[in-house]
Amino acid sequence: MNCPRCDSPKTRVMTKSPVGDVWEVYVCDVCAYSWRSTEDPKVWPTFKLKPEQIPNLDVIPAIAPLDPDVSV
Amino acid sequence: MAKVYKDLREFLATLDQEGQLLRITDEVMPEPSIGAAGRAATRMSNGPAVYFEKIAGYKNPLVTNAHGSWQNHALMMGMDKDTPVKEQFFELNRRWDKYPCDPVIVDRAQASCKENVIESDINLFDVLPLYRINDQDGGFFLSKASVITYDRDEPDNLGKVNVGTYRIQVKDVDTIGIQALPFHDIAIQLAKYERRNEPMPIAVTLGNVPLITFMASTPIAYDQSEYSFAGALQDGVPVEITPADTDPHLLVPATSEVVLEGYIKPRVRTCEGPFGEFPGSYSGARNQCEIKITHITHRTNPIFENLYLGMPWTEIDYLMALNTSVPMFKQLHNEGFPEVTAVNAMYTHGIGTIIAVKPRFGGFAKAAAMRFLSTPHGMAYGKLVILVDDFVDPFNLEQVMWALTTRVLPSKDVNLIHNAAGMPLDPSSYPAGMTTKLIIDATTPVAPEPNPRPVALVADPEGTEEWAKTLAEISAALGK
Repeated sequence: MNCPRCDSPKTRVMTKSPVGDVWEVYVCDVCAYSWRSTEDPKVWPTFKLKPEQIPNLDVIPAIAPLDPDVSV
Repeated sequence: MAKVYKDLREFLATLDQEGQLLRITDEVMPEPSIGAAGRAATRMSNGPAVYFEKIAGYKNPLVTNAHGSWQNHALMMGMDKDTPVKEQFFELNRRWDKYPCDPVIVDRAQASCKENVIESDINLFDVLPLYRINDQDGGFFLSKASVITYDRDEPDNLGKVNVGTYRIQVKDVDTIGIQALPFHDIAIQLAKYERRNEPMPIAVTLGNVPLITFMASTPIAYDQSEYSFAGALQDGVPVEITPADTDPHLLVPATSEVVLEGYIKPRVRTCEGPFGEFPGSYSGARNQCEIKITHITHRTNPIFENLYLGMPWTEIDYLMALNTSVPMFKQLHNEGFPEVTAVNAMYTHGIGTIIAVKPRFGGFAKAAAMRFLSTPHGMAYGKLVILVDDFVDPFNLEQVMWALTTRVLPSKDVNLIHNAAGMPLDPSSYPAGMTTKLIIDATTPVAPEPNPRPVALVADPEGTEEWAKTLAEISAALGK
């Protein structure tokens, strides 16, 4: 099952309904889009994403520089 | 003494008694029912809360639109539900001056938010009936959380414990994304942790006493305490808080329905959004912060409180209406402009603001507008400023339109300030965060500004007030 937004095949079941076997929720591991099995997601063209666009999205908030004595 | 609620449940009980809460007893599917009901409720003349008892696949109930009308807003303050907006404004102003009313810290055993604990196998869906609010949202969002953080360098400084409302996207069963805009207090605190590459402790609290939720979305100074303001707005009755289980400096409301504890992953940004936002349009996908939830406490049978937001007015507008207007009024009236008699900053969080002022001399009203536009909130949000005379009720749009139509000579009274700071979520700002400020002076000209065509105002006929009472009594009698 491909992601309705970025078309990536890297999707999985995030969880199942806590009560009964009513629905599942899926999530895309590339763009984090999530949807329920009872939905029929139709992502508008303006909100479609290509995986290669994701690293170039705006970063909010900007990441502060490390203090001089700290390393990652 | 105004009525004060010890928890969300007491507030909901009052809404119920006052006919301001509707119960949905039939089972509903999460999408699109919950978002649609929240939207529809705000269009009703009395704007009731909507309580869903059964949601397919979930254990727990949900309430939406609890703050979503002027009636509910008045009841939040313990006032009569029919209190006019302007009276609510002045009552909030009166209580505002009771700040600080510091919170009481209660032991864990006295805190109802600790009734149940989840320490492993965290799954938010087990506790919260999560749902998509608007069709094009990128996932399921928490839209009404009060988020608690503190200052890394001053962990014991209550004034710098931040209680804020931020949009939160569920990314996984134990992971959520959060929007921390650079001008929000949480971003100041986050930068201190990220400079050290340290995780930032955070608590996301849901279902609180209504004035804590109200204060979480109120713009106040970085070193002012939302909790101490909430006590002031409870007319001097302190709120109760308690340390989070995972960090004693994270002080959470003692009666929260649900408390999610965890940390912001340092220096990590992942794809978040889109989300239907308060200006009534979607904001797109961006790379934003991510929170790992490690610990949950909750009341037994917790109620998930969430709100609908979209094209105004919706519930969120009531949570950024008078609580935007009052601090703006205080910053003008108390700090150099006592001639400002009221401020209505209710339109899209103050992007549109109406200031009532009694000008002392020509150009005075315009100066009050510029003062508003240079306050911390007005600088970022304020875009459209309308000035009216002190005898015009800025909360009465018919009166404001009267002032605009009869007091404005556009060639001199309409002023533009180009290339100014703006609110990035305002889709007309371009580039995002840059705008043009518009000041419309609809006050009566005062010398030395010429007023070549002075007018004599029509006064109410003698006896109007008595007739208003008489007619109201007849109307009420007919209603019975």
